[in-house]
Amino acid sequence: MRKQFLVRLLAVLLGFTLIASACGDDDGGDAGDDTSGDDGGSDDGGDDGDDGGDDGDDGDDGDSEDTVDVTQGGSLLDTILDRGNLVCGVGGNAVAFSETQADGSITGFDADYCRAVAAAILGDATALEFVPLTASERFTALASGDVDVLFRNTTWTQSRDTTLGGDFGPTTYYDGQQLMGRVADGFSAASSVSDVDGAVVCTNAGTTTEKNIAEAATLEGANFGGITLQTFEDFNQVTDAFIAGTCDIITTDGSGLVGRRAVNDMFDDWAIFPATPISKEPLGPMYRQNDSVFADVVDWTVYASIILDELGITSANAQAFVDGYEAGVSDPQVGRLLGIDEGELQSSMGLPADAFFQMVLQVGNYDEIFTNNLVPVGLERAGSANAGWQAGGQIYAPPAR
Amino acid sequence: MAQVGALILVLGALGFLVSQAGDNLRARSIPTGFDFIEQPPGIQVGEGIQTRDFETGGRALWVGMVNTLRIASAGIVAATVLGVIVGLARLSHNWIVQKVSSVFVETLRNIPLLVQIIFIFTVFTTLGNVSLDSGPIHGWLHISNKGLSVPRVFGLNGSFQWLAFMAIGALVARWAHHHQVRKQEETGQLGYPIVAAGGVLSVFGIVGWFAHPVMGFLGPVFGLIADALDGLPEETLQLILAVLSIVVAILWIRRFLKSMSSGGGRAKLTDDDWFRMIFAFAGSVLVAFAVLVVWPGLSSWLLNSGRDFFQLLDDRFGSGNGGRPFDGKRPDIVKPGNFANYGPAGLTLTPFFAAVFFGVVLYTAAFIGEIVRGGILAVPKGQTEAASAIGLKRSQALRHIILPQAFRIVLPPLGNQYLNLTKNTSLAIAVGYADVVQVGQTIYNQTGRTLPVMAIWMLFYLACSLTISVVVNFFNVRLKLVER
Repeated sequence: MRKQFLVRLLAVLLGFTLIASACGDDDGGDAGDDTSGDDGGSDDGGDDGDDGGDDGDDGDDGDSEDTVDVTQGGSLLDTILDRGNLVCGVGGNAVAFSETQADGSITGFDADYCRAVAAAILGDATALEFVPLTASERFTALASGDVDVLFRNTTWTQSRDTTLGGDFGPTTYYDGQQLMGRVADGFSAASSVSDVDGAVVCTNAGTTTEKNIAEAATLEGANFGGITLQTFEDFNQVTDAFIAGTCDIITTDGSGLVGRRAVNDMFDDWAIFPATPISKEPLGPMYRQNDSVFADVVDWTVYASIILDELGITSANAQAFVDGYEAGVSDPQVGRLLGIDEGELQSSMGLPADAFFQMVLQVGNYDEIFTNNLVPVGLERAGSANAGWQAGGQIYAPPAR
Repeated sequence: MAQVGALILVLGALGFLVSQAGDNLRARSIPTGFDFIEQPPGIQVGEGIQTRDFETGGRALWVGMVNTLRIASAGIVAATVLGVIVGLARLSHNWIVQKVSSVFVETLRNIPLLVQIIFIFTVFTTLGNVSLDSGPIHGWLHISNKGLSVPRVFGLNGSFQWLAFMAIGALVARWAHHHQVRKQEETGQLGYPIVAAGGVLSVFGIVGWFAHPVMGFLGPVFGLIADALDGLPEETLQLILAVLSIVVAILWIRRFLKSMSSGGGRAKLTDDDWFRMIFAFAGSVLVAFAVLVVWPGLSSWLLNSGRDFFQLLDDRFGSGNGGRPFDGKRPDIVKPGNFANYGPAGLTLTPFFAAVFFGVVLYTAAFIGEIVRGGILAVPKGQTEAASAIGLKRSQALRHIILPQAFRIVLPPLGNQYLNLTKNTSLAIAVGYADVVQVGQTIYNQTGRTLPVMAIWMLFYLACSLTISVVVNFFNVRLKLVER
């Protein structure tokens, strides 16, 4: 009897010590794992550098890859080239930005930029898989590697840039949050936030929109009774609830409201206000951080579309520009961007030399993408922040040289 | 022995998974940590005990939790009532009643809950608009696309006194019930225990309606307790709590040993019993450690909230709270800003709440109905026949023979349905009802703390489920056939 008890006590004590030591091991193990991860990473980086080692520039790339590999182990660009397609996260129900068509295809401004990146990397704008994501799924999907890049009218903010494990590319559309109410309720384009006192305001969950309207309501001061903020998972639900009257006011980026009004407002009863948006919403691509190689590809695809627009090269005349190119006579920037000139820079980025030629041929330049998708719903480029920098807008790209 | 091994294995695996997840998240520079609980979230919540100007993210999550608890507890009550009615209706000899309830059950339990919730929400959104021009609401019920508003009964300050009065009434009613039962057992004459208890309660209720101010003397008593708590030093409470937890554990172990011992010799204990005792003691030591060292703020929090609680009671019980203890108001429509909506007078279910509530209630009621029907049918026919053989009337047989046995069969699956209902409320996200999942999702979208928020969800639902299980098990054990 007594012996049995002792054995049991010992067993329990042993158990506790094991647990304690296991916990201790965990801490030590973490550090060990990290360092070994580092080693493996830099080995891979060395290999990659060898593969692409052609000229002096590549030395820099090799270095940057080394830092990438600390966490990633190889650039995403290699993975995409191996896989043969780009996985692009889009909204799927944002009118004019990424709309799912009856046949299942996805069209729109964001969708076209997905095509542009696919055309630049793989030479084929259709080597692409769209993944429709809700606003609240998108960052997890990006961080976990379910998608390569997000073109999902995502607003660039400090907190998102610094805390979500992702980085933002150049802004493709300068937007601002506005509200939409019914003309029957007394709203017009001249209304202001103070007019929505007591309203049920609806928007989609997990967006900057949600915080902006909460802050705007707080800023209205003491005379403003406050609003009821109701959020839905999906902007289609928001619009449906607005049509039904369950929501008095809906709010999101101005472009989204204009798009919805173009599609759903049968009786010309919806007013968008205030004229000056209540927030800045720069929309652009987002990718995982610490992968400069892939980041450069996305960034320069966007920049190239802007520069090609400045140069007047469109999908219609790109072939003519290539055919008529003469070294020493034509604009060398055109030669470099379209990959005809000796000094082209695409190869050193890990892309085919004609990457941006394929992009403009298969998808178009910035103005074409804008005109094809956004102008039909009533969003104008001229006079807005999305005009080119020569026309007083914000759309500007660093020089391609 | 095997248990020790299993425990170590489980804990080790858990630790491994957590550390792996942490490593991977850090590698992807995704933030982890629970700091968002302390920081202002900068969001609004659709409905709840507080909807805006949250000071901390934890408070916003708490609002979501309260919303979940609100819908789950109301849903459990409503689903039980409706389910029992449906179950009895399916056993009815009335053809129409039986067919209607059969259609109810077969339809609702064969359509996915999510579809039902979205359907109900869509029905609500197709209803008419609320407008101030429609004038005062004539009637008890108003339905529109802003929700469903019914009259609300609410307690005034006197209701506390009335409830205290009713507590005395309950004691008296209990005594009357016992008295009648004893009389029946001793003399064999038919007593009326239920009638007697009900009569006493209603007399107390009516008298209390007018006489409740006599309970006003409780106010100063609670005031004294509040003062005493205010004067108690923090360290004393810490010590009391620590000693109390250890004493409770020791007492429990002693009782356990005593219940295990068979007559003269020492108790024969299995591995399981040893574990129970060791865990009980270790747990109490852990509590003492937590109170004294890790979380000294707990005792001051307990002191403060205890003092506030008794001060509140003091106010509520204080003199001058005469008049009606309860009042009711019809729903009204007001226009606080530029939009008409339901005012605070009525009890308003928003379309979001109503969709989830009616969805889970109807769906669960269909299952509970089948459980009740099955439970009643499972009582052997011989029991009914035996009851009529000893001369019981049909109603008496049902009340004393059939239902007690049926209840014993029904209880465990009923508990499962309560668990299902509580967990199913998380489908609220489909229509945007601000439950803990929806609020949590909003928070992790704003802060990026996905896994921490999910951990909180899991702990919350675990706590809900365990609470329901404990309650159901308690009744289950009490109702169990005593076998010797």
